[in-house]
Amino acid sequence: MAHTTVQAHRPGLKAWLRLIQAEAKMVIRDYAGLIVPLGLPLLILVMQGISIADMHQELAEGVTVFSYYALPVVVTMVVATIAVINMPSFLATYRKTKLLRRLAVTPASPAMVLVAQMVVSFIQVILGIGLAFAVAMLFFGADLPQSPLTGLAVLLACCAAMYGLGMIVASIAPTPNSSVAIGLVAFFGIAALGGMFGPAENLPDALETLGSWLPFGAAVEAFQAAWIGETVEAQNWLVLGGSAVIGAGVAAALFRWE
Amino acid sequence: MTSQREHSPPLAIDAKHLVKRYKSKTAVDGISLQVAPGETFGILGTNGAGKTTTVEMIAGLRKPTEGSVKVMGLDPFTDRAKVRQILGVQLQQAYLHGSLTARELVNLYRSFYPNPLDTDTALAMVELTDKAKTKFDNLSGGQMQRLSIALALIGQPKVVILDELTTGLDPKARRRVWGTIESLTEQTVILISHAMDEVERLCDRVALIDAGRIIAQGTPDELKAQAAAQTLEDAFVALTGKDVHDDEGDE
Repeated sequence: MAHTTVQAHRPGLKAWLRLIQAEAKMVIRDYAGLIVPLGLPLLILVMQGISIADMHQELAEGVTVFSYYALPVVVTMVVATIAVINMPSFLATYRKTKLLRRLAVTPASPAMVLVAQMVVSFIQVILGIGLAFAVAMLFFGADLPQSPLTGLAVLLACCAAMYGLGMIVASIAPTPNSSVAIGLVAFFGIAALGGMFGPAENLPDALETLGSWLPFGAAVEAFQAAWIGETVEAQNWLVLGGSAVIGAGVAAALFRWE
Repeated sequence: MTSQREHSPPLAIDAKHLVKRYKSKTAVDGISLQVAPGETFGILGTNGAGKTTTVEMIAGLRKPTEGSVKVMGLDPFTDRAKVRQILGVQLQQAYLHGSLTARELVNLYRSFYPNPLDTDTALAMVELTDKAKTKFDNLSGGQMQRLSIALALIGQPKVVILDELTTGLDPKARRRVWGTIESLTEQTVILISHAMDEVERLCDRVALIDAGRIIAQGTPDELKAQAAAQTLEDAFVALTGKDVHDDEGDE
């Protein structure tokens, strides 16, 4: 025989499930990392709950001031903290410790880790939103969006945009430490301009405009539209979609597996 | 093509004139290696000699600037998926998912292969049965290395590359790792090391690498005879003109 008979084998569903399970265990067992994405949005929720005047006043049928201002911000925060701070820090750590390189010499590819991290991040997003909604509804009488399907579409677009930004952080950060630092700066930058510390319309005009062209502000505006049952503005979709595309492009060009 | 080998099995490793050049540095400068199936082959050299770059090219992690490499007759770059089935690699100081236990890691890595070793067998092989529930982060250096070997072997590869597997281990841990390597009778083993005693004990043949080139190749006895030296270490010093002690850390 001139050739070694070896069947090429791609890892199947079981490998994917094991890898997602592994990433989930990494996230759960590194429980300190869950405090920011689950705790910080709750903190902001409660802060807004006690500081918004007339929070029970209805802006539209069944939509209180509190629901309109606090919940879009809180949902966006959950997504952004997980995608922009936590996920890049895992990827940067895996790169630094050569874990991605170790996987590159198995039939699994390091890209599988990336996908598994995104899946686990999405599960965290759902949990974080569930927790925030539970607190908001139980203690502050908040309401669900008037257009739940639009809300879901905005959530998916928001995830894609924030993952895009997270991949930029993971691509440019040389070390795990710098990844957390860059992630935090990016998060607080877009969040402050996007209404995290109070309604964006209270910002100076130039900053408000800038914030609305960044993914946090765009997501908050889009969620607000879903909450009062209005059509989401094209600019919001453009910013969210554009962030995802730019993130994917930067990652494709700059992300290093080692 | 390979007509001359129509009736013989392919070499486990067949590397021809491998060169790896970076901008201003030539890390590997024309290395050729032929390793027969079942051999334990040592690649010996000081830090920075080009050992790891050489095996990274064999493992398909780095493309050679020049030259070619085949693993069991397969190209690690064009036949990547197939080579991943038959080649097990333990990378120098590679880390694993730190919060996962030894058993969870074995289960994870075995899910990547079509015909993996049984989890308990793999753990027993490297004497980690009693550490199955210990997180990777809480294992000692020696235990991490042994788990790493188990993961390199989990897919039942035909060829195993082990890079600096005992660096940083205490003497007792080193001997246990050696015992594991000695038990590998079915596989071709490529052992990269700068520990002379390790190579002398474990390897059938050795290539001495210095400054990206092979300066001598043969059985440990042949190398000693060539340098008229008592030990492989003396032979290394005589043949390379370099003292290895500074680089051996825990020796």
